Parts: sequence; C-alpha cells; structure tokens
Amino acid sequence: MVYFKQAQLANGLDVIAEIIPDAQSSAIGFMVKTGSRDESPEVNGVSHFLEHMMFKGTSRRTAAQVNREFDAMGARNNAFTSNEVTCYWAHVLPEFLPAALDLLADMMRPALRNDDFDMEKKVILEEIALYLDRPGHVLYEAIMQDHFGRHPMAQSILGPKESISALTRDQMQAYFESHYGPGNMALAVAGKIDFDAFLSDVEKTCAAWPHVNVRRNYSTPELKANRRHITDVKLRRHYMAMICPGPSAQDDRRYAAQILSDVMGDSDGSRFYWSLVEPGLADDADFSFFPHDGMGSFFAGASCDPSRAAQVEEIMLAEISKAVAGGVSDSEVIRSRTKIETGAVLQGELPLGRMRNILGRWIYNHEYRTLEQELEVLRKTGAAEVTSLLRDYLLSPLTITTLGPG
Amino acid sequence: MIPSFKRRCTDPILNLSVQEIGGDSRSLILPGMTTTVSPQHSASSAQYCHQWPNGLTLVAEKIESVQSAAMTLLVAAGASTDPSDALGSANVLADWVMRGAGSRDNRALTDYLDSLGVQRATGAETVFMRFSASMLARNLPAVLEVYADIVQRPQLPEAGFAPARDLAMQQIDAIEDEPSQKLNLMLRARHLPEPFGRAVIGRKDHLVALTASALRQDCRERLNPRGAILAVAGNIDFHMLHDLVEKCFAGWAAQPSAQPLMRAAPRGVQHITQSSNQVQIGLAYDTVCESDPESLLAQMAVGVLSGGMGARLFSEIREKQGLCYAVHAGYMSLKSPGPGVVIGYAGTVPDRAQRTLDSFLVELKRLGGGVSTDELERTRVGMKSRVIMQGESSASRAAALAADFHYYGRTRTLDELRTRIEAVTLENLNSFLASHPPEKITVVTIGPAEPVLTVNTDI
Repeated sequence: MVYFKQAQLANGLDVIAEIIPDAQSSAIGFMVKTGSRDESPEVNGVSHFLEHMMFKGTSRRTAAQVNREFDAMGARNNAFTSNEVTCYWAHVLPEFLPAALDLLADMMRPALRNDDFDMEKKVILEEIALYLDRPGHVLYEAIMQDHFGRHPMAQSILGPKESISALTRDQMQAYFESHYGPGNMALAVAGKIDFDAFLSDVEKTCAAWPHVNVRRNYSTPELKANRRHITDVKLRRHYMAMICPGPSAQDDRRYAAQILSDVMGDSDGSRFYWSLVEPGLADDADFSFFPHDGMGSFFAGASCDPSRAAQVEEIMLAEISKAVAGGVSDSEVIRSRTKIETGAVLQGELPLGRMRNILGRWIYNHEYRTLEQELEVLRKTGAAEVTSLLRDYLLSPLTITTLGPG
Repeated sequence: MIPSFKRRCTDPILNLSVQEIGGDSRSLILPGMTTTVSPQHSASSAQYCHQWPNGLTLVAEKIESVQSAAMTLLVAAGASTDPSDALGSANVLADWVMRGAGSRDNRALTDYLDSLGVQRATGAETVFMRFSASMLARNLPAVLEVYADIVQRPQLPEAGFAPARDLAMQQIDAIEDEPSQKLNLMLRARHLPEPFGRAVIGRKDHLVALTASALRQDCRERLNPRGAILAVAGNIDFHMLHDLVEKCFAGWAAQPSAQPLMRAAPRGVQHITQSSNQVQIGLAYDTVCESDPESLLAQMAVGVLSGGMGARLFSEIREKQGLCYAVHAGYMSLKSPGPGVVIGYAGTVPDRAQRTLDSFLVELKRLGGGVSTDELERTRVGMKSRVIMQGESSASRAAALAADFHYYGRTRTLDELRTRIEAVTLENLNSFLASHPPEKITVVTIGPAEPVLTVNTDI
C-alpha cells in the first residue's frame, strides 16, 4: 500500500514523500522553481551553468568528493535544467538514502569557487557547441524566440555563447542567492523510506537555509503568427516546427491536451503517423503538449526530404485545421487514454518515475495525487472535453519555423 | 517531454556505460548458432526456460511487485544477415512487417495494439530484429498472439513496401545531419569484423535496387525461429505463459540458415572530414567477450573508466581539464568467439581535439596499470545497485534475460549477478588489466579537415 507524507520546515522548504513499502530502492530529488525564463537577458544561461556548478563542491566537500560520494553509494544521479525548473536527483538503495540526502542538501549550498567556475565555463561552451550540431535543437531554440518574442520564455536554456563567456562568478552568486530560497524549491522522496527519520535529517541539514522572497514574472507573452526559414546548406534534411498556445500546467484542461497530443502526434497510430510517417513522406512527425507555469504550448515537428517540405507542411496544417473544425472521435480518445494510462502505470512502477512525477506536480500545482487519482481524472476525459479544448484554443496563433539546406 | 539539459550526457547511442549495458550494444550474435539448454525445460521459483524443437527459446521471470509485463522477442534477422547486395534490407523489413499481420491490415494492427495500450518498439539491429513491448500484464496473451502473427504471418502488403523503403533511405540522410550518431556507425564499421560492423541503415544504392518480391522471399527465410529468443518478465504465470507460447509459436516452421563468415575489419585510424562545431572522437579496442569467465572484470574496468561522475574519464578529462561535455566509454560484446569491445567517445571543439584525444589515450594506458581499492569498491557498489534497480523494471529484465540467453545459453538471476560482483578482488581485476591492457586502439574522428589529429599511441 502506497501512502503520502508531507511536512514544511519553518524556512518554507516543502518535503513530500510517497512511501512504497515494497520498493527495492528510493529516489530523492530537489526541484527549484527557476530556469531560463527567470533570467535577465545579460545572464541568460546562468540557471543551467549554475546547475553544473552545484556539483563543484561546498564548504565541506570538493568537486571530486561530490562525484565520488555519489559513486560510493552506487547512485544513479543527474540534474537537469528547463525553462522553468532545475532539478537534482539521485536513485539509490534504501540504506543509502540518508547519505544521498546529506550530499544533495549540502550541494544546495554551493561554494561557487572561482577556479571551478572558470573550468566549468569551458564545459558549458562545449555543451553549447555539441547542441549546435543537432538540427532539432537549433530549430527548437529558434522557434521559442520566434514565438515568445520578448517574453522570457523565449530565452535559450543553455544561453548564447556570448552571455556565458561574459558571465562572472559574482553574477552567478547573486542569481543563486535570489532564486535558491527554501520556499522556492521542494524536496521529494519516493520508495522505501522511514519518513520520520528522513524528516529529522532534513531538519538538520536544511533548516538553517535563509528564506528568500522570489517572484516569477508571470507577464503574458504577446503571441503572433510568425514564420521564418533558416538556411543551413550543410544539412541533408528539412526540419520544421510549429508552436501555438495551449492550457497551462495548472489548467484542468491539461488532461484533454495530453490526449489531444497523443491523438494527433504519437509515434504510432496518430493522425500525423497515418498522414505523414506511414506513407513515408516524413521520417518523423510529432505533436506534443508542453504545460508551462501559467501558460502552455502545443508543439508540432517533422523532418523530411527537402523536396517534400511544402507537401509535408501542407499536410500538417491540414491535420491541424481538420482537428479544430471536426474535433476527435470517441474511438481515438479511448485508444489514446489506454496508451497514456499504461505509460503512467509503467512509469509508476519505478520509484524514480514516481519521485519526478510528484515533485513536478508539487512545484507546479502545490498538490499531491496518487497515480490512481491521476488516472481517474484521465478516464473521465472524453472526446467532448478534447473537442471543447480545441474550440477554446483553435491551435492559433501558430508560429512556424523551418530549417534546411534550401 | 519538455526539453531540458542534463548535467551529464546520457546519449542512448553512445553512452554505453557499463551499468547501462543491454539492448543494442550487446545484441551481436552469430545467427543460426545452436543454443545450449541442457534440460529442455527448467524452472526455478522466479525464472523459467523452455526450448521448442523449432529452435525458439522462451525465458521468463516473475516480478511479484508490478502490474506490468514486458516482452523482448529477438529473431536472428538483423543487418548481419542482409544479402551482400541488399545492405539495409533488414531495416526496411522491420518497418514492413508491422504493416499488417494475420487477419489484421496495417491500420487494424496498429489500432489493436494501441487499444491494448502497448508501448512498443521494433527495429533491426546488427544480429537480431528486436520486437519489444510493455503492457499491463493482463494484456500479455492478446499481445503475444499479435506478435506471433507478425513474425509468422506478416502481410507484407505491396502498398507498404515503397514507404518502408523510402523511410529507410531517409534515415541514411538523417545520419549525415547528426555527426555523433554517424561517428558511432563509422567506428563500428572500422573496428568490428564484417558483417557485425555493418551499419543497420545500409546503402542507398542497394535500397534503390531492392524490390518487394525479393524482400518478401528473403523475409520467409529470415523470420525464422532458429536462434529466436522470447523473453518475458513481469507479473506473469509461467504455466499460462508456456501454454500460450506453445499455442502461438510452436508451429513456426524452422528454415535452414547460413552462418555468415567473419571478416577482419580495417581498424587503424580514420578521419572523416565534415563541417561541424565539434570534432567527434571515437576509440575502440578488443577485450574478452561476454561469455568469457573474465567478462565481469572487463566490465568493471570500464566501470572504473566511465561508470559514474567520479570515474576516470569524467574526472580527468572533463572535471580537471574542462575539455569536453560528453566523454564516456562502454563495453559491448559479440557472441563467442567474437571479441568483446570497449568503445570510447568524446566530443570537443577543433582547437582542443588533439589534447582531448591525447588525454583519452593517457587514461587508457593508465588503466592497464591497474586500479585502486577505492575505485574497485565504487564500481562494485554501483554495479550491485544497478542489478537491484533492474529488478524493479519488467522491461529492463526482459531485455536482460534475452541477452543472457543469447550469450550464456541460460538466464542468470539477480542474486547470481550480485554474488559474482561481490566475489571480485582487487588482485583479480589488476591481474586481468595487466594481461589485457587497452592496446591496438582503433580511432575514428569526424570534423573539419584542420587541424589534423595525431594518434600518439606511445603516450
């Protein structure tokens, strides 16, 4: 039997746990509600760079010690940064959970030493170079700029080379101090856990962190139907992306949006699959829903031979118009719901999957739902709800950005 | 999935770190090779194995704590069985067979699997064609019946051939736009013996000449139960599973199959000129194969090199010198008597490529000098932890059971794996490294023509 526990420290740090007594392992993670949308343009990329620097040691540990300690507990661990959150996680055997907490909590108060900062800057510049060799990434960054314009959601997660090169340690320190307050993050665990002992350890390691007032900019982006083509003569394929508004992470219509994205663009059996991939016109075509904080997006993408670019784009647009005009059918929704439900059950069997799920929901919605409660809501979402969602959003204004040799 | 950027590169194609071994990286087998299951049928409390006269083997493991079941079906029809004038045909076939089977046409088949909520992937690899599917355990019987149709009664509709071939040709172009993936293919081709170094994507000129009738004929011979492995893990009942597989697969007719001859790879050093932001650096050298009694030592050595963020490559090349974002190594193996191979990867901007390559070679040379107690212990605990975590995932276990049977002719329990990992001593590992130091290293690079890289093997 799975059960939920929750506590809040006096400084505002939320601690949540999904206890799975039969689990063989435990997953733990801190998620900070900060990402590239929370950066000023001159420090664009600092959230992601800081995420790397958090592994570079504390007043108690050197960088090498941080890495070796994770290895010594046999942890699978990593961190990631998105437009809106930064997350640090570890998946360990239950006997190592106290050690994993001690290490992760210590990392959350980094030393940010000058030498480490200079060295890691080189690694970040390498990471930027690596992604510049991936057309899908280049296109994603371009369409975010085209769509969100001056809104901070437009900013690159990795940051441009220029702002990273110019960034100073002190700017990073200031960003850390203003965004890594305990009230702007949450700590989650899932798996086999002794919650009382865990909470007592959290008190010891995290209670002294000072509270910080953090406010995210929730301004509404001014969205227009933009269109741009980027030429790169060395490419062999044509890549296209489309983006338009959708419901936010807090909006109950997100379940209908998730079903819509599966009906439209799942890799098997979706409308895009039948109209583009199955006939061999595009080797890849997808339609996804990205719920953001206070806003949301639908994102469509495809890649094809440059000679078929116009045909593929026409079909994508026709499918989008058809959905808006005619909605979706019951049988499509039932199939998509079954796929989503199976995926959620499979993910829920792994403590790491559950930890990430409850942590994300806590940061975005400040609520906990069991997997079964989530699935209940999903099961109640039918074709009528999806069709009504389409009427609300009309999949417009639609920004289209393309990248290819022509 | 919302885009995000990770601290450590976890590229599924190149990051063959030791704890993630499984799947494609190990799926190299000599097709048609007879498997050896001494009793025709064996069952422990948690595992089950049975071989049918047509050559198909069922291996299974019960996981009480999950609601799911996962299957991995490996059929010895991978790219290594492509006719020499039809390279890439297995890749086309892997798409075509999913376009209708038994009484269901393309759309009916896809809709039916979707209505069962099956998460699935089908693809040609070097040795096998792999069919993977995860589902709620109650749907397993219906799903197995569908896959029985796919491998025994594919419709191979005429209308589906051209799109399947077209998509395969598009993949060949797509690889040119992703230099890190291209490197992986080029390195394998340079180091692994033919036909096991072949790129699954094949050749465009061969695919242009490929016809539906030739591939249909070829399919009958290649989708063959000989050497096929069906692995199932999850909340399952062995007796029900046995009866179901008997009903669905026992009548699958075996075909004669030829064993391809292995031919030595060119190896040595190769640079491929291509305009890109980073230089891609790939290295490969031989070690013992998976079924060798010392393979665990080879894997632990790779763990010391690249098991975690405290391991040598990450620590020396990225953390101390800041030369790369992505740098790692992994172990893969051909089936005996083929070699085991360690594959290394680093990506870096051109003006730091020489230093990165030199540093990588220094680390390989240093590995031959042995490892410390701390390094062994960190690697050991990491491997043990992965073993336990693997037991929580039906999909991981199904893939691992299939790989076990392929390499060892039997499955291994998680307890057996743990015991073996615990038994390794520092002396074992260091004497293994002294007798199997990294040497005769193949190096493939992709990037601009200048600067020209030098492979200093005498570092």
